[in-house]
Amino acid sequence: MDKNEILNQLTIIFKKIFENDAVILQMDTTANDVDGWDSLTHTSMIVEVEKHFNVKFKLKEVLSFKNVGDMVNMIHSKLHSV
Amino acid sequence: MNHPLEEILRNILVEREKPAFCIAGTHYSYAELGACIANIQQQIQSKGLEGNCNIGILTYDDLQTYASVFAILFSGHTFVPINPLHPKSRNESILEQAEIRVLLSSKMEEEADAFSSTSTMVIKTNLPADTSSVPAFIEQEPDRNAYILFTSGSTGVPKGVPLTIENLESFLSAFFDLGFDIESGDRFIQMFDMTFDLSIMSYMAPLCIGACVYTVPFEGIKYMQVYQLMEEHEITFALLVPSIITHLRPYFGEIHLEKMKYSLFCGEALYEDVTLEWAKCIPNAELLNVYGPTEATIFCTTYPINREGGNKSLNGILCIGQEMNHMKAEIFNDEGKPADAMEKGELCLHGRQVTPGYWKNEQKNKEAFFIYRSKRYYRTGDLCFADKDGDISYSGRIDFQVKIQGFRVELGEIEMHAREFVKTHAVVAIAKQNEATVWQIYLFIENYSENTSALMQHLKDTIPGYMLPAKIIGTGVFPLNSNGKTDRKVLMQQAGL
Repeated sequence: MDKNEILNQLTIIFKKIFENDAVILQMDTTANDVDGWDSLTHTSMIVEVEKHFNVKFKLKEVLSFKNVGDMVNMIHSKLHSV
Repeated sequence: MNHPLEEILRNILVEREKPAFCIAGTHYSYAELGACIANIQQQIQSKGLEGNCNIGILTYDDLQTYASVFAILFSGHTFVPINPLHPKSRNESILEQAEIRVLLSSKMEEEADAFSSTSTMVIKTNLPADTSSVPAFIEQEPDRNAYILFTSGSTGVPKGVPLTIENLESFLSAFFDLGFDIESGDRFIQMFDMTFDLSIMSYMAPLCIGACVYTVPFEGIKYMQVYQLMEEHEITFALLVPSIITHLRPYFGEIHLEKMKYSLFCGEALYEDVTLEWAKCIPNAELLNVYGPTEATIFCTTYPINREGGNKSLNGILCIGQEMNHMKAEIFNDEGKPADAMEKGELCLHGRQVTPGYWKNEQKNKEAFFIYRSKRYYRTGDLCFADKDGDISYSGRIDFQVKIQGFRVELGEIEMHAREFVKTHAVVAIAKQNEATVWQIYLFIENYSENTSALMQHLKDTIPGYMLPAKIIGTGVFPLNSNGKTDRKVLMQQAGL
């Protein structure tokens, strides 16, 4: 799976979690850009992303996500290290 | 400690070079805090206020906001924190109720302008301060209000809870009487919204001993910010709400905070299982569960948690322990008499930390306070019992105790049995009368998408039929109210109930 495809699939997850069909994700999107992205939805989103891609993030990895691109890169490297 | 506010002043004057705050990565010394206070005091003085006034503070994560608290207190006034992110109508109601004429703000943008009107002057507090100036300090009259916090009222209009200088200083004295081994080298975390009184302990207690306050930024993911701050700055004293460790639980295996000395929890029911797992992440810390309503100043009972287990608990929820100094907790039964050991009733509080009464709300004062044997008590609305040692267990809100088919049902009991089955998922049981005024129970499970029939079967096997929920609803993450507690009303609305 390439990074574009990961971004597309993340977009679908985000639309569901944030209950907003208008969500557009780009590599530099941050929590400030998405309405309703807070402590609560963050946990749900991480759980959903882990389930969808069948990956597991470490705390240090979650803390290192400064934007959506960081998450895409992390998922990409996890999927390709197997 | 007899006069904690004087101790704070002393540290400002004496411990000049030591760090008082670390905000957004920048350290501010006690001298800088003092200069900032003095600067704000001069501006307040220039407004020619007479006597004691309620002064509002728009709360931001900056030094000026914290300095405003002390500028107001040291000048003999009363502070009323107002969160600019809360709904405007709610904030306007607070300004009106507390008759606030002067509002302090470190930001002059739209937010402050929105509050500026003919009746309210906004003072800008982020002006450059003369670093050599020191704060003025007038004698602190014990009966004067130190602060007024507004909490959500059942009618929808926020109600004001004033706490006096005596209330506040009694709390701080009793806090230090708990015997913590803390000194000026300690590092405290401040994670709370300043309109929530747990923030006051988080920044005032360290300033009393010359220690440093590390504030959690407003932006970003709260529990992540809390963890990052605790790790990066080797925080030694942390008062947290239990939901922080609930969120961090999946990562406990990676967390190791050796420097933590004290880990306190308040604000919500604290479960023993997650707490003992958390204890492994903080191998050198003592853990305490603390309890108290805003009406009795921050918190007033404490229970030291044994990290090895075997703690007193009810339905998996840790005991809230015993009163701090100068406070008396008494449980009154249905007949309005002090309850026997193990007998359930309403927890009522008497002592130096209890508010003189709600702000201009005689009706509410009649309901919430009463005299028994010439002592004045506050009704907490919390259903509790004390064991023979005097340790108090929390059994839920009185409002959550419902009668179904004549049986007394405690929702906490249903939640406990549901937790046995769903393990780490949070659960909330809510009772509501349907159109036919029959009470029905709804059980909500957080982050749960599995079929609920196995859970229902488990409940059928463990609790009587009249206690079974009418419906089990798996949801996403539970909504929280502004104090970080599960918002039951919103949960019901989201489920269309």
